[in-house]
Amino acid sequence: MKLRDHLALSVANLWKRRLRTALTVFGVTIGIGALVSMISFGTGMQKNVSESFQSLDLFNSLTVFSQDFMAGERFDPDERPAQTPPPGAPSVVIDDRVLGKIAALKGVDIVFPDVRIPAIVRFGGKEEFRLIQVVPARVISSQMFRFSAGRGYASDDEDSLVVSSSLLKQLGVDDPKSSLGKKMVISSIGFDFSRLNPADLAAALGGERLPFVTEDTELTIVGAADNQAAFGPIPVPSDVLLPPGVAKRMKKLPFSNIWDIFRASAGRLGYPALNVRLTSPAFVGPVKKEVTGMGLRVFALADQFKEVQRGFLILNMVLAAVGMIAIVVAALGIVNTMVMSILERYSEIGIMKAVGASDRDIRRIFFVESSAIGFGGGILGFALGWAVSGVINRVVNYFLAKQGVPFIQYFSFPPWLILGAIAFSVAVSLAAGVYPAMRAARVDPVRALRHD
Amino acid sequence: MGNVPILISKLGKVYATAKVRVVALRDVNLRFEEGVFAAITGASGSGKSTLLNLLGGLDTPTEGTIEVGGRIISEMSREELALYRRSQVGMIFQSFNLIPGFGALENVALPLIFSGVAKRERRKRAAEMLARVGLQARASHRPSELSGGEQQRVAIARALINRPRILLADEPTGNLDSRTSREIVTLLSDLNRDQGLTVIMVTHEEALAWEFASRGVRLSDGAVQAEEPWR
Repeated sequence: MKLRDHLALSVANLWKRRLRTALTVFGVTIGIGALVSMISFGTGMQKNVSESFQSLDLFNSLTVFSQDFMAGERFDPDERPAQTPPPGAPSVVIDDRVLGKIAALKGVDIVFPDVRIPAIVRFGGKEEFRLIQVVPARVISSQMFRFSAGRGYASDDEDSLVVSSSLLKQLGVDDPKSSLGKKMVISSIGFDFSRLNPADLAAALGGERLPFVTEDTELTIVGAADNQAAFGPIPVPSDVLLPPGVAKRMKKLPFSNIWDIFRASAGRLGYPALNVRLTSPAFVGPVKKEVTGMGLRVFALADQFKEVQRGFLILNMVLAAVGMIAIVVAALGIVNTMVMSILERYSEIGIMKAVGASDRDIRRIFFVESSAIGFGGGILGFALGWAVSGVINRVVNYFLAKQGVPFIQYFSFPPWLILGAIAFSVAVSLAAGVYPAMRAARVDPVRALRHD
Repeated sequence: MGNVPILISKLGKVYATAKVRVVALRDVNLRFEEGVFAAITGASGSGKSTLLNLLGGLDTPTEGTIEVGGRIISEMSREELALYRRSQVGMIFQSFNLIPGFGALENVALPLIFSGVAKRERRKRAAEMLARVGLQARASHRPSELSGGEQQRVAIARALINRPRILLADEPTGNLDSRTSREIVTLLSDLNRDQGLTVIMVTHEEALAWEFASRGVRLSDGAVQAEEPWR
């Protein structure tokens, strides 16, 4: 028996019972649709995360801390026990000498200190409090930053800054482009050393006059960043980025966190941390080893990514399991339809056998029918999953856009998902067709012909 | 294939369910020469249809052997039996057993699907076969649009489409009036005479059997009661 004839016979049979076929196909469509949207969500999330890791160069990035930085804080779960310094060992202070040493290591592209300045940002009559990060011009022009408008500053001394689109939105600017070239005021906070005398301090304790001064610096907005890497120990991206030259001129608290203050009092003030960018992810291991050898602690996001991927594997499995429930129900629908079909076509099967159809021929007729249902359901199911996730994506993005979140594709439909959905649907339908096909093949022609 | 004598020896068939045991055939020994027109008669329940089903490879005996054209069909596998049904024998039935959703031409062409014949060739051969039974004008009619005699003609055309040497007819006139019955048996007789087709017909109409068949076998209670050459 030829495949073409199998197909023609099956299609004719399915067409004869259009409504039932349509309902069964619809069941499969829903099952595959559910599975497809679940998996596309899982892969979409995974894709977004790994793409942003990649595009933000996070696989190339390391953060270096001194041994006593955040001592006792658990921030590097994989490495903590091994890196605990021997008690009493002198802690290495991260100064320009250390920075130079790290910069000279093979594979190191850029090293810059992690400096954040607390400041009030004023623009268009509104103000927000932010930690401002100091980033060299070379880094801001790298692919770690993506600009929705404008560009990074060209030199480390330029009187300009880069601001995030989401901060602009909070300051009432909907179109980042319109802010370019305008002035933004950074009001930094610094110690007033002239008032560091007992009388003034006493007054300060009374809450009268604090020994702090603020200083306004006017800078031009040259770029609005969309997406950026979260450098350093604070996993929050800064909303305002300044060139180091400008930062040097500003009055500022030289601390980014409370630990620095203790260190400063011990006379060992260095940079709290260094951001290191490598020329290739391949250098993460060697550089990490070298820097650890200097008595410093290293944090690499690439290490964390393994953990993240394991998490996504579990997420995908859970999502697929939910989708599978719908598939199992659909498969039972196919079994039901096919068994009904045997009962209805009992004498027809007998006739086919009497005129020479073998068990295998009958079995194949049923297999082709159930896989045709699966094929139809697979294609329609993929289309359904695609349509539903498209709608969800739009709705979610509509609400998130109001909060200044850029448009994100939450669902991903790689080519393997299209082919996989259809192949899986056919495979499930074939599996569902096994019992009916076997049963049809075993029909006794003598009884079947006596049937009517 | 040469001579196709059908040799049946010590054939027995028992239908056994959990509760009942029915002996349908016991110790049947028969021989049919090629080109014979044989009639198997007997009361209902005498085992004649069972014998025909065994000859047609639709069922397998409990004991004994059936040899057709030098091959013992009672020892064939299910797959071999399907091939035997497809190529060596054609069968027609009292209730015609046409597929209701198919037109006359499609019904006639059905066995060719399982022989792997291409569609165009199937249609050509089925049309020729329909013409031979005088139904070329009814090719697209569904069974429900045909008379009983016409339906049986379609069934005969279908039985012969694979050019078998043997035609097995199970009460072919059981659902037909006497005039149409005569036409059908005449057609079988013509095919037997003109093409040397071996015809074995189960019937309870002894008069018709007497008139056309060259041999008669009477079964009673699953055993051969009488066996005689009539002409």
